[in-house]
Amino acid sequence: MELIYITLAVYGMGAATALFPKKMEMAAHYCAVLAAVFGSGALLYQSAAYLMQGSGSLLSGSWAFFTFNADRWSAVFLLITGLAGTVTSIYAWGYAKSYLGKRLRLLGGLWNAFLLSMVLVLLAADVFSFLLAWELMAVVSFLLVNHEAEKKAAHNAAYQYLVMTHIGTAAIMIAFLMIGSQAGSLDFAVLGQGVLSDNVRNAAFITAFAGFALKAGLLPLHVWLPNAHPAAPSHVSALMSGVMLKIALYGFGRFVFQFLGPTEFWWGAFVLVVGLLSAVLGALYAQMEKDIKRILAYSSVENMGIIFGAFGCGMVLMTTPRHDYALIGFLAAVVHSLNHSVMKSLLFMSAGAVMHATDSKDIEKMGGLGKLMPWTAVFTLVGSMGLSALPLTGGFVGEWLALQSFVTLAGSSEGQGLRLLGALAFVLFGLASALAVGCFVRLYGVVFLGRNRSRLVERAHESDWSMRLGMGLAAILVLLLGIVPGPVVAVLQTAVQNQQTLWRSFADMQKVWWFGSGSYAVYAPLLLLTVLSVVLLAVALMTCGDKSFVHREVTWNCGTYPTARQQYSATGFSKPLRRAFDFLLKPKRTATYLKKGNPYFGRQLEYKLSIPDQFTEKLYVPIQHYMVWSASFLRRIQQGSVRLYISYVMVAMLLVLIWGAM
Amino acid sequence: MAMHIYDLGWMLAQVLLLLCSAPLVAGIIKKVKALLQNRIGSSIFQEYFDLYKWWQKPTILTPYTSLVFIIAPLVYFASVVVAAAMLPNFFGTQFSFGDVFVFIGVLTLGRFFMTLSSLDTATAFGGMGGSREIYISVLAEPVILLAVLVNALRSGSTTLAGMALDFQAVYLSVASVLTCIAFFCLLLAENGRIPVDNPDTHLELTMIHECMLLEYSGRLLAVIHWASMLKTLVFLVLFSLLYLPLSLPLAVKVLLAATAVSVMETLKNKMRLFKVRVYLAAAGILLLLAIVAQ
Repeated sequence: MELIYITLAVYGMGAATALFPKKMEMAAHYCAVLAAVFGSGALLYQSAAYLMQGSGSLLSGSWAFFTFNADRWSAVFLLITGLAGTVTSIYAWGYAKSYLGKRLRLLGGLWNAFLLSMVLVLLAADVFSFLLAWELMAVVSFLLVNHEAEKKAAHNAAYQYLVMTHIGTAAIMIAFLMIGSQAGSLDFAVLGQGVLSDNVRNAAFITAFAGFALKAGLLPLHVWLPNAHPAAPSHVSALMSGVMLKIALYGFGRFVFQFLGPTEFWWGAFVLVVGLLSAVLGALYAQMEKDIKRILAYSSVENMGIIFGAFGCGMVLMTTPRHDYALIGFLAAVVHSLNHSVMKSLLFMSAGAVMHATDSKDIEKMGGLGKLMPWTAVFTLVGSMGLSALPLTGGFVGEWLALQSFVTLAGSSEGQGLRLLGALAFVLFGLASALAVGCFVRLYGVVFLGRNRSRLVERAHESDWSMRLGMGLAAILVLLLGIVPGPVVAVLQTAVQNQQTLWRSFADMQKVWWFGSGSYAVYAPLLLLTVLSVVLLAVALMTCGDKSFVHREVTWNCGTYPTARQQYSATGFSKPLRRAFDFLLKPKRTATYLKKGNPYFGRQLEYKLSIPDQFTEKLYVPIQHYMVWSASFLRRIQQGSVRLYISYVMVAMLLVLIWGAM
Repeated sequence: MAMHIYDLGWMLAQVLLLLCSAPLVAGIIKKVKALLQNRIGSSIFQEYFDLYKWWQKPTILTPYTSLVFIIAPLVYFASVVVAAAMLPNFFGTQFSFGDVFVFIGVLTLGRFFMTLSSLDTATAFGGMGGSREIYISVLAEPVILLAVLVNALRSGSTTLAGMALDFQAVYLSVASVLTCIAFFCLLLAENGRIPVDNPDTHLELTMIHECMLLEYSGRLLAVIHWASMLKTLVFLVLFSLLYLPLSLPLAVKVLLAATAVSVMETLKNKMRLFKVRVYLAAAGILLLLAIVAQ
């Protein structure tokens, strides 16, 4: 159990490398990466060992004013942090070198500090420690997003993130105070024991959900996410999407399981619907973007939506007659968190590799990278399959469990209400998952397949060994978690099961699930893999056995040679969906004639398309305008004269006195 | 129920049966359609001859394609074969390695690779087909899940075998008729039939599925066509087993469903691409009604 302290110390030492002298920049980088790898590795080992056989709590104690306690619910997220931290730190060995001369020491130090802060959030055992660590996490991630402050976009995104995340922190703080004032203590262990009135509980639920949903990037509080994640260096984006978003689930889970008392039906239904709507719209926006990292950021919105949708389903099930099945919704949320953290880390890493190789984020300028970067292409294919939730990848396991939880929800009572809620969940989930498939087909196809769309691609090169190692490990994990999900899910289940003792054990059910002989629900990935590969091998041998059949010839193009510009572009690929969902997306199109002579030839046309996020346009911009407007109104009372201000104080005091006398 | 080794044998027998009869069913659909349109039409065995013909021809690849282009048809074929193996066993065993969500996922695996291959050809046609395929699949996916939900709610199981067993006890009811119509609409959309897609043309304005495989030739083309025919048969069998509320032998039901496809293709025109949205939404609403009526 003391290994966690070692992790904390190693991260701390890694953070201290930021203080190395300027001449030792590379040494600082290597030290920081080594510290991060070893720290995360130790964390991974420790949390996995505890989850598999440990009892009691992983760690409990205090240091100065900071109290620690890590139970199984924390340990799951420590495991996620350790896993994603290890692979992305290995990747950072090679990737971060490109920041040489651009505050590389600071990057390495902050990287360790970021990992440290996330671990501290997961360990904190009282409100003060939690909020302190939470704030540290917010500030460090702000500094990381702001790392390339010379770029205006990054700078703006960082400040937007800073403002938004503090609104979230404020909401969480209010929730804590409401509960804490009733419980009479700020210690997590006693926080749930206060007797709360329904109004307080409802208010605490709303504020806590708002605060954590903001961090998780759920609608309509997601607007910072697609700006901030792409602005950070790629390995940082990987950690932000892979781990930091999950920490929001950790905090929300603590509230639901421990602090808020018995769950209300409408809480769960609200979380379910908000989550799944985020999933649909996140996937839809991901389909429309051209910036490789924004695509991935919106896909994170989608996946967090699915995670919260499943979690909400669990919450609803807790209030139905079949509450003993509630486990499955929470289990789906946790399993998908783990899988998504690995898959999204992988794809952000490959996005970094692609950007490193081409110096561009715009997928419209790429194409044919698969031939130049074969390793990256294979790893990205695995990650894309995972995020499309195809069978035999980790992504499928979580989504399969989520679907099972929705079925359970729909069948959990005879009433029509739950049935229709289940049907709604099915419709939204189906839309989101099919959109995700389209999004990753488009991403992978446009970037790695086909022909080069611009000169940028021609000098692309394969990444160095450490980047390939990081991506390769993540890709292996995606497959491993998909092919043998049984043990992992069994371990994660104990973490959720501890929260409520009345839930039935799914251990027997699980044997039925993963090895395939049940009548309720079956998914036997090992058998599926065997059958699929046998068929694949047979048909491959039959088809490609005779090489003399194959020869290469240029595509028939009505007598002309096809050019790279005749390929379908990413924007073109998403056109049918853009048109089908234009009532939601409201794309802005402008076509201006630069030269309009003969109607048949020689015209020059400039065509612009933009799809602004509707929540920014319709919600945040008006709020911003209103704030500026009201500020300009308030300016009238700020005249700069001391006498005026003294009179304000007088008036205020008088009012207070009158109020007190009443 | 435990798994026995002969379960795998029965599964193999079922797959082989479906694989061999898929071109025949496709031929029958074409023949009935021809007869309905006052044509003589080609022989019902024509699809076998076509497959044989493609098998003999050389495969030509464009110089821009990568390995994905070659792998895609193979994965597509394997995924449809696996889906066929997952159908409730005709020979009575209950064993399966996945429930209905895995079934849908496996078919998505094939579609994922086929749409990737359409982008790999580096031509305008391929991408057009892939993009439209994704569009249709996005609209169809929620409706398929709803169709699954109707049966899952009734049977209390998400395995295909459990649902099929339960369905045998169901005869005509409001819910079963509604789901039957809705699933038939889905079957047409999923398999690229009229009114969603036209399987017989290569006109760029109308095609979706055929457009994705325009650059394929030789054995790879044969593999894709065989897989597509098998997929249609798998859907017809699924429709007969889970949604067609008539107590007839399975083979008769499948032939009946195939005839219905021909009738539909004769009566209807292909609809505009953006009307498909309404068509599938209508199917979805029928299913919602069925869920409420159940």
